Amino acid sequence: MALIRCCFEPPELELPEFFDGFIQKCTDPSCCCGCCSALRPRYKRLVDNIFPVNPEDGLVKSNMEKLTFYSLSSPDKLDRIGEYLYQKATKDINRKRYKLAEIAMEAMDQLLQACHAQTLNLFVESFLRMVQKLLEDSNPNLKIMATNSFVKFANINEDTPSYHRRYDFFISKFSSMCHSDSSDLRDSLRLAGIKGLQGVIRKTVSDDLVENIWEAQHMEKIVPSLLFNMQSGDMVPVEDASNVTPPVLAEEVLRELVGRASFGHIRSVLKPLLTHLDRHELWVPNTFAIHTFRIVMISIQPQYSYTVVETLMQHLDSNFKSSPRTRTSLAVVLSKIIAIAAGESVGPSALDIINNLLTHLRTSVSTTTEITAEESQYQEALINALGEFANHHPDYQKIEIMLFIMNTVPDLSKKSKGDQMLQNILLKSLLKVGTQYSTVSFEKAFPASFLQPLLRMARAPHDPTRIIVMQIFQALLDRHQNEQVLSTVSIKPYPALSQEPPSRSDIIFTHKYGANIMQALIDSMALSDRVDALSASYNTAALLIVEMSCSETVQEFLLFILGIQQVACTVDTLGAVHRCNLHAIAISLLVLISRVSGINNLLEYAQKIIEARREEAVYYLPPLLDAKKVSAKNLNLALPHLSIDKLALGECMQNAGMDAQRLNTGAPYMLNQTDNPGHRHSWVESVSANMTTRNSSADLTVYNGDVDSVNSSPGVCKKLLAPEYNFDAMKRALAEPTEAAKREQRERQMQIVRTFREGEFDELMRRTEPKHDLIQNRLNELFNSLAVERQLTQSDSKATQQHAQQEKPVYETKFPELFYY
Amino acid sequence: MEDYKFLFKIVLVGNAGVGKTCLVRRFTQGLFPPGQGATIGVDFMIKTVEVEGEKIKLQIWDTAGQERFRSITQSYYRSAHALILVYDISCQPTFDCLPDWLREIQEYANSKVLKILVGNKTDRDDREIPTQIGEEFAKQHDMYFLETSAKEAENVERLFYEIAAELISQARSKDGSSAAAAAAAARQADTGSSIGLSSLSAKAAQSNCCGGSGSGSSTSQAG
Repeated sequence: MALIRCCFEPPELELPEFFDGFIQKCTDPSCCCGCCSALRPRYKRLVDNIFPVNPEDGLVKSNMEKLTFYSLSSPDKLDRIGEYLYQKATKDINRKRYKLAEIAMEAMDQLLQACHAQTLNLFVESFLRMVQKLLEDSNPNLKIMATNSFVKFANINEDTPSYHRRYDFFISKFSSMCHSDSSDLRDSLRLAGIKGLQGVIRKTVSDDLVENIWEAQHMEKIVPSLLFNMQSGDMVPVEDASNVTPPVLAEEVLRELVGRASFGHIRSVLKPLLTHLDRHELWVPNTFAIHTFRIVMISIQPQYSYTVVETLMQHLDSNFKSSPRTRTSLAVVLSKIIAIAAGESVGPSALDIINNLLTHLRTSVSTTTEITAEESQYQEALINALGEFANHHPDYQKIEIMLFIMNTVPDLSKKSKGDQMLQNILLKSLLKVGTQYSTVSFEKAFPASFLQPLLRMARAPHDPTRIIVMQIFQALLDRHQNEQVLSTVSIKPYPALSQEPPSRSDIIFTHKYGANIMQALIDSMALSDRVDALSASYNTAALLIVEMSCSETVQEFLLFILGIQQVACTVDTLGAVHRCNLHAIAISLLVLISRVSGINNLLEYAQKIIEARREEAVYYLPPLLDAKKVSAKNLNLALPHLSIDKLALGECMQNAGMDAQRLNTGAPYMLNQTDNPGHRHSWVESVSANMTTRNSSADLTVYNGDVDSVNSSPGVCKKLLAPEYNFDAMKRALAEPTEAAKREQRERQMQIVRTFREGEFDELMRRTEPKHDLIQNRLNELFNSLAVERQLTQSDSKATQQHAQQEKPVYETKFPELFYY
Repeated sequence: MEDYKFLFKIVLVGNAGVGKTCLVRRFTQGLFPPGQGATIGVDFMIKTVEVEGEKIKLQIWDTAGQERFRSITQSYYRSAHALILVYDISCQPTFDCLPDWLREIQEYANSKVLKILVGNKTDRDDREIPTQIGEEFAKQHDMYFLETSAKEAENVERLFYEIAAELISQARSKDGSSAAAAAAAARQADTGSSIGLSSLSAKAAQSNCCGGSGSGSSTSQAG
């Protein structure tokens, strides 16, 4: 019974509808209009039938199947079906019959899913108008439903481009929905908005022909909408995937968006992102900013990550007037993400970033007259960013970076407070990079262009500057993590010390630059009596000894120690406490080097001095004295018998079976030999001045680094015995043999040529004949022996061979001219 | 087959709490929501009106006045046909901010956008901005001016209807002007050809608007 009613009622109900259609369709010439529904076009009847009598019943499934089948079999009708459905839905919405509108939408969804992509193009137009219509209404359920339909549509791949389709409204509307604030459906509306945006992104991003989603007007809506939702979340990754909240979804969409951005589009994403963070004051505290930028960095195509860093730095540029706190936060964000970018950026771009950071540091220093805590925090953050960045570079680039920073440090000649601060800041950043560098070979860690300015800075009058320089040295010298162990001046053995004999290249480095470094150390020690500065210098010296001492370098170090002592004894301008401290440092270093190099005689001697000092002058021993706490009156400085004696040291060395020539003849290091830092104390000169009986091969390593090659060349040895031993003689001795040999060789060649040119032919014949005979005899012997074994071939081969041998002389006699020229 | 002839986008801007949302609600839904909270981001309403026998669809974007949403609200200015700049007549600061708003509109909106200055809350007794001041400001900056009360529904309908009417006439004049231009061009072509025909090849060469082929044919005729 009910079934029959169902079949019969729709036409009756449809009567008003039909009149509507009639009035409307009269303008349409294609419609010949009938007076009963049977005469209406078939597609209209099919569409009408899918609507139930009672809207609550929902879509009439069986009729929907009929409609689907119809539209599949005659796809050309699809656009009319779409149009008709849209008109019906419009009317329903106007009459607030939302249920029917929903059914129309549902039907459109199903048709969209069922039909093939190539036939969809026209249908899509009405579909999108339908979605828009639903979105325009204030009913939240309609909006959500429309969004879902839109998302379904977005997931369909269309093969035909639609140039004229605009998503302008959808982006505006979905963005607006992302901000929706109605009480009960807030989250679902926001979710719908985000999903809708995701749909638009998916739909447009892959197709260059449709609307460019990356345009500022769209990005300025999409990005803030996503961020607005993200910032309400708690930023903790949600384990439960089933419970999708707006923040989680927004984050996902942002990842997708950033991941799809090409190089040209990164900025159009980042600009609104930065503006949003500015506007919503999300830099302080910066947890959200860090979170967001992490997401960006992780999801961005890795080759573009550098752009993000660059953009963020530009933002820092434009923020130079904002509060230090904001800038600090920005710098912190930078330091957090810079590591991710560092892996990808190489070469000039890396230095560019460094340069940019340094510029920021410089502006920070130059613009602030008073260092506030906040400003220094900002600087600290920048330095950290620098360190983070350098940390993720290979070591060879770290050297490059350090060199680069070194070159930006203002010269010592500039003494203004600002420059001093800048020096400190830049050196601090240098230290930061230096601590990230793991030294393998000193030669690589200290290229001359880096070492020289660093040594200059080691003599800076400003104590903190010097301490930082020392720390840089320590960071770069310390290959065995001894820095902490050696941080206090002590004569006791350092049990935790770890060491390794220096490599060949290290020794060469010591020969080349060790003197320069030690010179700078002595100067730095003489500059101030502050305990921290002195211990820093000591620490550096001790590390130098631990890393570089070996039998070949120990003399140089002893001279260095003597130099410290000499400064303590002779330089009157130093305070008494300062002098005592220098003595203490000298003896400590002596103990250290004798332990490290394992020369027991030396150690015994040092212990003897220590014993003596312990009795007479404890202040000559570590720990270092603080000038402010100890009065200089009690210090008796006229104690020459307590100092380290150079001759005694030499004796110790000789007793230990080691060479002490350099020690005996070389002058200890002196103060302020800085004007010619080049080679005043370099090994080359010392060698030429002091070389006597000792085999100089080791010293010659300065030149070629290979003992054996010098020794194995006998000519050199002979020449070395020449009576005069100075540098020039050495040079000549080295240069001579090759010159002579060359000359000799040339003469020999000339002679040969001459004999062949001028000699009589017969004579030449005579000269060469014996050789021929010799060969011939040999050959004969050979062939004879062969003949024994292979008699058959013997005669043949012998004949040919003999013939070959005889040929030459024949030619020679025939064409003697050939041998004249 | 659309159910409207024109679609206009109207964006409301102005300081927080001047009554933008109430104006829109009053107009679209005919109600005055007491205790309306601050708008977040951008709100959207639609209303179809009939002006001069034409169905006009008005897309109304109601932006948040709060500073922090400025980044997203600005992006809506660009596509707007009309911008309603609202201030509160009982609150001097909202009036003082108008130059800032104008600067923002200048920067982000279409240069030809229709601008309307609205002093809202005329129902309030504690008026701080006299009508005349508002009027003068509007005149200075080439804006339409109206005082409204969303609470009393005063001038609200009028505001939107006038905007619709103005936008229609703008749209029509645009069509009209282009038609007029076309007509003018046609006339010019006529005169050009008459010059060409009335001999004097020198004159024909002078007049640039004259087609090369036309002058050529005239000279050949003369020859």
